[in-house]
Amino acid sequence: MKDNDSFNATLAAATCALLGSTVAAPVAAQAEDGGWSFDSTLLYYGESDNRVRDISAAVSTLRDFGDERKLSGTLTADTLTGASASGAIALNRPQTFTSPSGRAVYTTPADEVPLDDTFLDTRFALNASWTQPLARLYTVSAGVGFSTEYDYTHIGANLSLARDFNKRNTTVNAGVAWSQDDVDPVGGRPTALSQMLDVGDNSNKRDGSESKDVLDLLLGFTQVLNRTTVLRVNYSYSDSSGYLNDPYKLLSVVDPVTGDTLARVPIGQGPNGVYLFESRPDARTKQSLYAEVKHSFGAPVMHFSYRYMTDDWGIDSHTGEVRLRWPLGDGYIEPQLRYYTQSAADFYRASLANGTALPRYASADFRLGDFDATTIGVKYGHGTTTGNEWSIRAEYYQQNGSVPGEQIIGNQADREQYPDLSAVIVQFGYRFRL
Amino acid sequence: MNKMPICLVLLALTGCATVQPWERDVLARPEMSLDNAPLEAAIDDHIYFSKEASSGGRGFGGGGCGCN
Amino acid sequence: MNASCAATLTRDSDHWVGRFVAMASPCEVLIDHAPASLAQQVLNTVAAEAWRIERRFSRYRTDSAVHSINANAGTETVVDEECANLLDFAATLTRLSSGAFDITSGVLRKAWTFDGGDRVPAQAQIDVLLESVGWHKVEWRRPLLKLRPGMQIDFGGIGKEYAVDAAANLAAKVAPGLSCLINFGGDVAVRNARQNDEPWRVGIESFMQHGAAERVVKLSRGALATSGDSRRFVLRDGYRYSHILDARTGWPVRNAPHSITVAADTCTQAGTITTLAMLQGENAEQMLRDSGLQYWLQ
Repeated sequence: MKDNDSFNATLAAATCALLGSTVAAPVAAQAEDGGWSFDSTLLYYGESDNRVRDISAAVSTLRDFGDERKLSGTLTADTLTGASASGAIALNRPQTFTSPSGRAVYTTPADEVPLDDTFLDTRFALNASWTQPLARLYTVSAGVGFSTEYDYTHIGANLSLARDFNKRNTTVNAGVAWSQDDVDPVGGRPTALSQMLDVGDNSNKRDGSESKDVLDLLLGFTQVLNRTTVLRVNYSYSDSSGYLNDPYKLLSVVDPVTGDTLARVPIGQGPNGVYLFESRPDARTKQSLYAEVKHSFGAPVMHFSYRYMTDDWGIDSHTGEVRLRWPLGDGYIEPQLRYYTQSAADFYRASLANGTALPRYASADFRLGDFDATTIGVKYGHGTTTGNEWSIRAEYYQQNGSVPGEQIIGNQADREQYPDLSAVIVQFGYRFRL
Repeated sequence: MNKMPICLVLLALTGCATVQPWERDVLARPEMSLDNAPLEAAIDDHIYFSKEASSGGRGFGGGGCGCN
Repeated sequence: MNASCAATLTRDSDHWVGRFVAMASPCEVLIDHAPASLAQQVLNTVAAEAWRIERRFSRYRTDSAVHSINANAGTETVVDEECANLLDFAATLTRLSSGAFDITSGVLRKAWTFDGGDRVPAQAQIDVLLESVGWHKVEWRRPLLKLRPGMQIDFGGIGKEYAVDAAANLAAKVAPGLSCLINFGGDVAVRNARQNDEPWRVGIESFMQHGAAERVVKLSRGALATSGDSRRFVLRDGYRYSHILDARTGWPVRNAPHSITVAADTCTQAGTITTLAMLQGENAEQMLRDSGLQYWLQ
């Protein structure tokens, strides 16, 4: 101790002599060390016409240990209510369907697109990931995920490796993800392309769960273009196999001339038309190419991204998104615009004409159809003096689809063919550190 | 792995400048990070995955729910 | 040749950023809330002081005092007050480090190239050079300095930190009370706290990934200095030899930390501690603890 004191005193005196007698104020320094940072969000999603409503809350946390090691986790809970288009086509008389449980019926008024029975479902999801340096310039990352809802569970894991080049101006990364999902449909799994039966008749339903496996591969690079611009490009390959049907979606069987749904007389309670459960292939391969750019114009920052996706179901899609962040007072305002367009799957059918051979695969799910979607929104964020940030975002999403002319039969031309969708999204966010 | 050819290919592809570490002031700003709002991005991915036939692109994720 | 005797001033969100190059390092001055004219004045003062010190004490410049001293090794030279202060300071450091730190050790550079390889010079080559190393071989009686023929002095180990403090002094005179952060290639000093009491945030570069901040230090006042190998080292027989040479042996220190950052009242003090700690090699952390100062290792 005495040695230290004399060492420190000698050094202090020497420094004083060198710099002159100007007394520097005592140092006040503190490492911004790790700690936990949190990001929380509350989201409301509401479709028009009493369709799907979703409220979700999520919290994610990041612990940065310094030295490039990071631990992160996200917990999400959401509650979904409402109904979405079932795939059956509109008709000029009321339509009655058996509910998924097989114990009741629900009715769609005339001239309205049938929506499946209103349901309530709550989902919980948990994700965690760990990142650390593997060797100089190499970073490895591993993650797991789990989610559960009433009729669906998912577990997954992912692993990726990144390598920096060129003074960290370039980063190349490769990753693989695997997941296994289990579907246990309410009322049992219906046989593909079997007919919807009366209440109490479960002969075409099978109990037990079905599974679906997904393998994803990702190859990408991030490149600093200049002092104010950064670019990322990703190529993804995804292979799904197993049970890919939506067990609740239907197709209407229609008269080949009038286009009206074939009538049926239920025994007791049941459907008053002929409806078949959809059938999709048990494998799907998707590939996508994604690029995004962030550019700073001084204080405002622009973000632009584009994604092209193609798969072996015949679907091609393009997604373009642009955001512009403007500083505003102590916060920022960020208008956003997204445009999405996709082509229909090969086996997409608006309805099935009676008398023609039944195709092997068919689905009227609007999500596999031909449509454009636009999202327009604005986000406002504000930083607090303690370094936290709250934000609010409002968006309007509009989906407009169309059925190929050759699939519109007879009277269908006068009715709503594609269940267009519009939704409002409002999100609150709060980021803080502990 | 021979890093030189990869470097050259990547540089040639994008025709960019090498930014020195002390020139990264703009790039260091949080809003310039490509992943500066991961939770929001995940939520958006989830919404669009449940309403559209495409998913992901930015990274892993998209999926893991009974919504598609 | 002066690549850039130009200093540029730009405005960031709530402060000014002045940039220039000096002492072979990127230099910047961050100036808190101030009118443009005052910020420009501060920047000009800081840059001028940095260039002045570079001109006087850089061994690369033929018009510097150090060059003239080295060229006249063997004869007695008279040095001015500022040079004398630096020599006195260096002498104290040599004493405190028991000779490990020595401003005459620059000639050893001829033997060592630190490129991450495993080449080490022959002991004979080092021994020859060691003949010209050693402060005790120098006759220093202020203001008279006499080096033995073949000896050279080099203020590289303390010059930048000294320049930071000197510039901070002048900036405080030009704009009293104004908070300026002076950063010469990673050696930082702040005299006055910012108006809104917020600290300046300084990123300490990760030794593993250039350009990535390993850690962020919030500096309200005081100084930071970092000493690091920046991947300039020699790997041999399982030991990592940093580029800092022990003047007593002519060999680099073994297994010193990759990088040491110290916070102290002045940049000179901070820089001195990081250098002396690095010279302790494996025992660096012990010295840092004993100093009582805040430090961060990589």
